This record gives sequence, structure tokens and C-alpha cells, in this order.
Amino acid sequence: MLNNNIDVLIIGAGPAGVAAGIGARKQGAEHVVVLERDWDLGGILQQCIHPGFGLRTFREELTGPEYMHRFIQQAHEAGVEFRTNTMVFQIDRNSNQVWTMNRERGIECLNPKAIVLTMGCRERPLGAIRIPGTRPAGIYTAGTAQRFVNMEGYMPGKRAVILGSGDIGLIMARRMIWEGAEVEGVYEVMSWPGGLRRNIAQCLDDYGIPFHLETTVTKIHGKDRLEGVTVAKVDANKAPIKSTERFVACDTLLLAIGLIPENELSRMAGVEIHQVTGGPVVNDLLQTSNPAIFAAGNVVIVYDLVDNVSDEGLIAGANAARYAAGEISGSIRRIPVKGGENVRLFSPQFVTGESDTTIFMRVTRPIEQACRVFTTPEFYTQRLRYARPGEMNEVKIKAAQVKAMPDLQEIIVDIQPV
Amino acid sequence: MISERKFICVSCPLGCGLTVTLEDGEVKSVEGNSCPRGASYAKSEVKDPRRVFASTVRVKNGKLPVCPIRSKTPAPRGKLFEIAQAVAKLEIPAPIKIGQVLIHNACGTDVDIVASRDLESA
Repeated sequence: MLNNNIDVLIIGAGPAGVAAGIGARKQGAEHVVVLERDWDLGGILQQCIHPGFGLRTFREELTGPEYMHRFIQQAHEAGVEFRTNTMVFQIDRNSNQVWTMNRERGIECLNPKAIVLTMGCRERPLGAIRIPGTRPAGIYTAGTAQRFVNMEGYMPGKRAVILGSGDIGLIMARRMIWEGAEVEGVYEVMSWPGGLRRNIAQCLDDYGIPFHLETTVTKIHGKDRLEGVTVAKVDANKAPIKSTERFVACDTLLLAIGLIPENELSRMAGVEIHQVTGGPVVNDLLQTSNPAIFAAGNVVIVYDLVDNVSDEGLIAGANAARYAAGEISGSIRRIPVKGGENVRLFSPQFVTGESDTTIFMRVTRPIEQACRVFTTPEFYTQRLRYARPGEMNEVKIKAAQVKAMPDLQEIIVDIQPV
Repeated sequence: MISERKFICVSCPLGCGLTVTLEDGEVKSVEGNSCPRGASYAKSEVKDPRRVFASTVRVKNGKLPVCPIRSKTPAPRGKLFEIAQAVAKLEIPAPIKIGQVLIHNACGTDVDIVASRDLESA
């Protein structure tokens, strides 16, 4: 069955996708459909039951499910159509047709005028870091454990070690404690924490959980069930220092070692993927290298805050609606953004001058002194007390500033000590 | 007697490093905060530290076996484990509505425990 009347089709009903639906409807798109492979809407926020979401959007700290509840309500009021239990298994790169599977509806081919990719991200698994030793039961990514505990009612174990200090790992340390487990410690190979400082404070310090920087797990022990791990300090080259090795008994190892944008469908659709962000290359309209395909949220670049993800979803949805209505010309400007020496990654990678925009970035390493985030030419400059990889920075550029410079060749974003 | 306490503000993702100066147990000054929320957090943290408690309760006949809950307002930090044990004893029949009060005045803290999502029956 070929369904030809969808204006904007959105893939994934997490925070980015739900906001994209709202954005598209508010921009005037008639038929807006959000596809979701789970039975429920809301994506990963449904398992993030701790508070800390939406302070900027709602002026109060909500839990993940509460935050999504508000957006899902708004989406229903805006007339967004949701199709749950629906898996996209193919996007045709020439026709932009989207093939879906659903138990009741069967296999369908949708032919939308515009698409928004909002598939979010996945956790880096154990295989990504090559730890020697055995492969017993008891090793989970922090998010998997979070789903077990918060949605399925299972405790993964009684004594946990956490490798990596991403926010989900820190949140799960506290969660395990509250459920009566022990957390032996959190080990981070880098010299700085991966997550927010407030999560170190309220998830580790509050409960006396030791936090070890420049330390990693060098071996996994146990045949059927995890029995322990060997941990060791690392040197300046991140090589383990043998003399510092120590055995830590545990039945659970949780991994909080980073997130990867989930772009199998994007690649299938022929969308250009950025080498560093791992997400689609986008312009400030959040349009990918395929003009009919837009992308927003953690599928593009992994954000710290869901507020940013929702904002980007609204923008992508609105622009997809404009594209579907023939309101975005094919000959818009494409001014490349470049990262300066202290910037590891940033998004969007192109500026059109068609809209005001925020460029999000992360520094390569912490700058623990007063510094400045700025663009060249100087559209924006802002003093910072510090800049840290775990906390995104941003610059704001006005469309008028870009329009006033018809010969502009590139925009450089950087953070420098002052 | 003048003393000083340093801790991280948890009111927002900025995570400001706060320094609170106390004289005879009374807050004399707060430094390092970038907003009024930080100042009030600092005062509460030295006198009556509080945290929002978030966990799950078991659900009878629900679409999920557990439902997320939270303390409606921040609860005294020293009472969190007591509240956790009270929550662990509960089993709530589905359907559950977001905001539904599951425990009034948990462990005498004057803080209510509420459901933080809608959960349909299985």
C-alpha cells in the first residue's frame, strides 16, 4: 500500500520526534505522522525517572516521564498522528520512500513530502573498548540497567562497579544505592568527568561513592557470572600501570562510556554522516545533505540537555513543514562552520543565513580558567568561567548578521582562554 | 565561630561551586552562585539538606510491572532511605494517573509521593 498524503514523516517518538511533530503542525503541515518502534511514546526519557529535566523549558525540574507527558499532550493537541509498534526498515535514497512494519497494518510504503530523522542515540557497548578477560553475565550498559530497574522491575545485581562517568552511569550509581545495592566505585579513564558536576555531587558524593579519575578496568573475571574486575591507574598515554592493578569483587559492571548517534536509517537514505559527531551533517535549518530529509536531537549530536533536543526538534519539524510546502528554495547559501583549535565537535556544520541559529559545541579538553566562546567573524562572543567537555557550549548567530555579509566564506567557532 | 563549607549546587546543570560562610551556625554569605536559586540552595543545604526522591513502585495488572514515582517536593536527605523502604512496600493497581498521590506525608516528612507517569492496565 502506497500512502501518499503525508506531509512530514518523523522517525522516532522521543523528545526530538515529539517536538518535531509539534513544530511541523504549528508551521501548518496538514498531515504529520510520527513513527515509533516501541509500544509507548517518549523514547528513552520514559526510563529516566530522576528529576533534572526541563528547567529551562518549564521553569521547574521534572522527571523524564513528566517532561515527555507535557510534550506528548501538546503534540496530541496540535494534531500530530502517532503510529507506535512501527519499525522503519528501509528508506529509499532516490525516492525518499519509507518502508514500515507493524503487526496490525502490515508492511507499508510511505511517500512523505519531507522526513525528520529523530532516532536518538545508543550507548557504546563493551565491544567498543576491548577489555581482556571473560564474558560472564552481569555486564550491562548503564542505560540497559536503567531500563531493567525503572521499567521492568529487575535489579541487575547486588554489588556494582561503574566504568565511565557519563551522566547515565552517575544516575544509575545512585539508583542502585536507593534500591539497596552497593556501588564499589566509578572509574573514569580520562582526567575529567564525563558527566555534569552536579551529578557527581548528588549521585556520588551524597552517598560516599568513590570516584577514580585516570583509572580503568583492565580485566573481567568470572565464568558464568561476573565475579570481579581488575582496575588500574593509567599513564599519560592511557596505558594501564601494572603496579597499580587491584582486584575489585563485584557481580555487576555498568558501562557509561559514551553515546553514539543511531544512524543506520540515515546512511540507508544516503544522508552524509559527519566523521566526528557521528550524526548527519546539517545546516542551520537542520536539513541534511538530502534536501527532503531533516534531523534533530541526539541523532545529530549528543546533547547534555533534553531542552536543547526539544528546541532542535521544533526547528527541524517547522523547516520540514516549510520544505513540504515548497517554501525552502534549492539555492540557499551554504557557509561552512569550522571548529577552532579547542573545539572537538560542533553542529550545525553549515549556516544558510535563512534563520537565527545556535551552534552547539564541545571543547577537546577542560579549560579551567576564564575563557571566551566566540565566532570569527565576530557575530558572537561570550565570557565563560570555564569550558569542559562534559558541558556543551553554544554561540548564537542572527540571520541578519549573515545576510549582511554576502561574501562570507566560513564561520569559525572556538573557545580560548582570556 | 566562623566556618566555611564548599559544595556543588545541584539546582541546575551549571553546577556552580558554592562557598558558604557560617558564623555560629548562621549563614553569613554565599559565594560562587550565578543565580538566586544557588543562594537559596546553599542556605537549605547547610541547614536542612533536601533532595527529590525518585524510584518505582510495583504495579498490579499494569502495562509495565513498575511505575515511576517521585517525592512531589524535595524530602529531607536523611529520610531518603526510610522513604525508599516505604515505597518498596507498595503495590498499586493499574491504571495509574500522573500526579496521583501514592503516599501522603511520607514517613512524617510532610512530603507526598506521587506517580510520575500515566500507566494503563495490561
